[in-house]
Amino acid sequence: MKHPKSDRVIDARGLEPPEPFVLTMDALDRLPKGEKLLLLLYREPFPLYKALANNGFAHAAEHLPDGTVEILIWHADA
Amino acid sequence: MQALLSFEQAPPMAAPFRFFLTAPLFALLAGAVLLVGGGDAFASRWSPGALALTHLIAVGFVLQVMLGALIQILPVVAGANLAGPLWVARLVHALLVPGALCLVAGFLGLFPGFAPAAVLLVAGVGLFVVAAARALLGVPSTSHTIGGLKVALASLAVVVGLGVALAGGLEARWSLPLVDTTHVHAGWGLGAWGVGLLSAVAYVVVPMFQLTPLYPRWFSRAFGGVLFAAATLLAAATLSGRAVAGELLQALLVWLAAAFCAMTLWLQARSKRARPDATQRLWRGGLLCGLAACLLWALAALVPAIGERDEWPLLFGVLVLAGGYMSVVVGMLYKIVPFLVWLHLQNRGRGKVTAPNMKAVLAEPPMQRQMRVHFAACALLAAAVLWPAWLARPAGLALALSAALLAANLFAALGVYRRHAALVDRRLAELAGGRA
Repeated sequence: MKHPKSDRVIDARGLEPPEPFVLTMDALDRLPKGEKLLLLLYREPFPLYKALANNGFAHAAEHLPDGTVEILIWHADA
Repeated sequence: MQALLSFEQAPPMAAPFRFFLTAPLFALLAGAVLLVGGGDAFASRWSPGALALTHLIAVGFVLQVMLGALIQILPVVAGANLAGPLWVARLVHALLVPGALCLVAGFLGLFPGFAPAAVLLVAGVGLFVVAAARALLGVPSTSHTIGGLKVALASLAVVVGLGVALAGGLEARWSLPLVDTTHVHAGWGLGAWGVGLLSAVAYVVVPMFQLTPLYPRWFSRAFGGVLFAAATLLAAATLSGRAVAGELLQALLVWLAAAFCAMTLWLQARSKRARPDATQRLWRGGLLCGLAACLLWALAALVPAIGERDEWPLLFGVLVLAGGYMSVVVGMLYKIVPFLVWLHLQNRGRGKVTAPNMKAVLAEPPMQRQMRVHFAACALLAAAVLWPAWLARPAGLALALSAALLAANLFAALGVYRRHAALVDRRLAELAGGRA
C-alpha cells in the first residue's frame, strides 16, 4: 500500500483486536533501521506506545478529521 | 519480538477477573429472590423484593462488571494506569461485595438498617473513584472517550452520595423528600453514570469490536456534556420542587438515552461483519430494550391510562436493567475476557510460545446459548410484571439459569488460561533446558 508517509503501512481500521497488535509486532520484527512503519487505526493504541518505548522504538501520532489516527513508528536510535 | 509483548503496566489478570467472576453470583441471587418470594416482588416498585432485585442487578452485577472492566479499559483507551491496580481491585472488591449484600439484605429486612451497606459502598466506590481520578488526572482529554470517562466517574460519586442520603433518610437519621431523591438517584445512576460510561466506552469499543463506522464527531463531542448538564439540572429542579422543569429535564435525559441507543443501532446496521456474533447480538438486544424503555416512559407520561398503572415503573426497570444494561455488560464480557486471556498468555509466552486463538478461549456456541437463555429471562421478567403470580418464579428460574451459564462460560475461559499457562511454562522450561 502506497502512502506519502511510508511504503510500509498497516491499515488496521477494519480489524478486530488483537489482529492490529499482532500485525504490528510482526512488521516491527522486520523493520530495517532507518525505515518507518505507518499504522492506521480508529483509536490511539496506548498499550502499544509503552511497548514501543520499552523496546527502542519512537513514534508520532496524528489525528485526521475522519477519525483515523496515523501512528508512524521507527527505530529510536536510527 | 518478546520484549514488545510485555505490557509492563498492564493490570494483572486477577484485578478485573475477581469482579467478573463474582458478578454472576448476584444475578443468581436475584433469580433466587424471585424463586423464593414469587410475585410479591412485583407488587410495586417500592416493594422490598423490587428494591432488592434492582440493587442486586444494578450494584451486584452491572456496577461490579463496570468497575472491573474499567480497571482494564482505563489504560487501554485512555493511557491511564491505576497505581497498584491489584491492591485497588482487591480492596474495592472486598468492600463492594459485602456492601451490595448488606444493601440487599437491608431491603429484604434480613439485616437491621442500611448503615453498614452505606459505609462499605462509600468506601469501596470512593476508593475506586479516587484511584481512577488520580490515574486520569494527568491525562489530557484528547478524545471524547477520555472526557466522557472523567464525567462518568464524577457522576458515579454523585450516585453513591445520593444513595447514602437515601439510606440515612430511610433510617430517619435525617429528613429527606424520599421519593424525589430516589428519582434523582435513579436518574444519575441509570443516566449520567450508566449511559455516560457506556457511551464513552462505546465510542471506542463499538467500532473496534463490532466493525462499525465511527460515531459522528458532533455526537461524541456533545453527548457526555449534555447528559451531565441534564442530570445536574434535573437534580436541582426536582429537589427544589420545580415540578414542571423537573419533568421536562427528565424527558430530556430519557431522550438522550434513546438517542444513544438509536445512534448505536444505526452504526451496528452498517457493521462490516457478515454475521453478528454474540457480542453484537447482546448489544443489539440491550439497545432495543433501552429504546423500548424510553418509549414506555413517553407513553406513561402522555397516556394517563398507562401512567396511572403501578406496573409501568416495574416494566421500565426490567427493560433498562435486565434487558438493557445486563445484555450490554454480558456482551462486553464476551470480548474482554477472551482478549485478556489471550493477552496474558501471549505475555507469559514471551514471544516464544504463542497464545491460543481467542475463539479457542471462549467459543461462540456457549456464548450464544447463554445469550438465548438471558433474553428468555428478560422476556419472562417483563411478562411477570403483568402476570406476577404465574410468571415470577419461571422468570427467577430463567435468570438463575442464565447467570449459571454465564459463570460457566467465564470459568471455562479461566480454565483455558490455567491449562495453557501451565503448558507455556513447561515449553519455556524445555526451551531453556535445550539451550543450556
